[in-house]
Amino acid sequence: MTELYRLRSVTKRYGSNVAVAIDALTIDSGRLYTLTGANGAGKSTLLGILAFLTPPTTGEIFYAGERIDWKSDIVRNRRRKVTLLHQSPYLFVGTVFRNVAYGLKARGIAGDAALRAVDRALETVALGGFRDRDARELSGGEAQRVAMARALALAPEVLLLDEPLANIDRETAGLLEAVIASLPSRGTTVVMTTHDPDPPARWNGGSIVLSGGKVVSPRVPLSA
Amino acid sequence: MDFLISSFTEALRLIGSFSPDVVDAVRTSLSVAAGATVFAALFGIPVGLAVGLTNSRLKGFAVTALNTLMAAPTVVVGLLVYGFLSRQGPLGALGLLFTPTAIVIGGTLLASPIVANYTLASVRGADPRILPTALTLGAGPVRAAATLVGEIRFGVFAAVIAGFGRVVAEVGVAMMLGGNIRGYTRTMTTAIALETSKGEFSFGMALGIVLMTVALVVNLFLGLLQRR
Repeated sequence: MTELYRLRSVTKRYGSNVAVAIDALTIDSGRLYTLTGANGAGKSTLLGILAFLTPPTTGEIFYAGERIDWKSDIVRNRRRKVTLLHQSPYLFVGTVFRNVAYGLKARGIAGDAALRAVDRALETVALGGFRDRDARELSGGEAQRVAMARALALAPEVLLLDEPLANIDRETAGLLEAVIASLPSRGTTVVMTTHDPDPPARWNGGSIVLSGGKVVSPRVPLSA
Repeated sequence: MDFLISSFTEALRLIGSFSPDVVDAVRTSLSVAAGATVFAALFGIPVGLAVGLTNSRLKGFAVTALNTLMAAPTVVVGLLVYGFLSRQGPLGALGLLFTPTAIVIGGTLLASPIVANYTLASVRGADPRILPTALTLGAGPVRAAATLVGEIRFGVFAAVIAGFGRVVAEVGVAMMLGGNIRGYTRTMTTAIALETSKGEFSFGMALGIVLMTVALVVNLFLGLLQRR
């Protein structure tokens, strides 16, 4: 296992409210971590920091051994390695293809290569044939799967998932759970928030428990 | 009452017969308003986006400045531009005063704050997930901003149309900077003011009907966009 993230004395404040205050946290590559905690524990804020979207107020973050300078292009480059999937994902106006190909286009991938990547990602979430559908006319479960396909198409080093299995039907949840569980074996590190009371047993991964913005239980992976 | 009815009838005849003076004024009005709107869009949309997306402490000041500029009287804008373009002014050598270009410059200054403010309102009302989604998918700041504009495009169109409406209906800038020269800088609004003062009420009414029709079309379009 290789150390991917290291957080040192990281805090994030919104006014006088301290959303996150983490003394130390290490996340290894190629593992699946569940991130749990009560509402307001700082889970979404931490995901935003790990996605390089939310700069911390204080502290240091190292990614693959490199200290992140939030004012340089390093952040943008690192951001391209990490994809955050929100609990209620936003789909852009237009077709499913436009949505799934968005990140590819941002990386200069177009034409047949983009087409193949989009089709592959859609098939992974059992939405083959949905390419030309209007993204705004999809059901909630279909939209969630398109958002997942959009993230998978980029083959990110890290996939951050904010309650990916909430508010969707059991069939979709089962499908996404299987897709998520398969990601570490493909080299993708996954950090996902969940309300599951005992996730590690099933996910066979690590666990980060937050309370009041602090890490109270960073359990190591059950199997290494 | 007979006066109004006969004037209205004569006004319709002038419109129907495509009176050259009416056609010239309509053409000048629409062309300078279109030109000013294009420049106002080029300036106002980025400003509205920048103010809407920044978290700077100057944001409040910028919003207040835009609101103030939006309410600026047309004659004050005309006066300011006149000062720059008049023979003694810093840009006097360009010889732009009393040309359609001068009206476009004044119109741009009038419409830009409106376009910026409407764009700002659209950014504020936009789904907060748009930018983080674009960024986490690897978009840079420019692509992310372009994506945001695409997602709020109806609001941005509305901003541009509102800017056009402001310019096409104003009289102060067109009068002060255009000089109301027949067949050259005479717009619908300046022609109405002049012809009515000369007693040519029917002519003024004809242009008034056209102007109201333009305003109606613009507002119908605006209403349509705001419902999207």
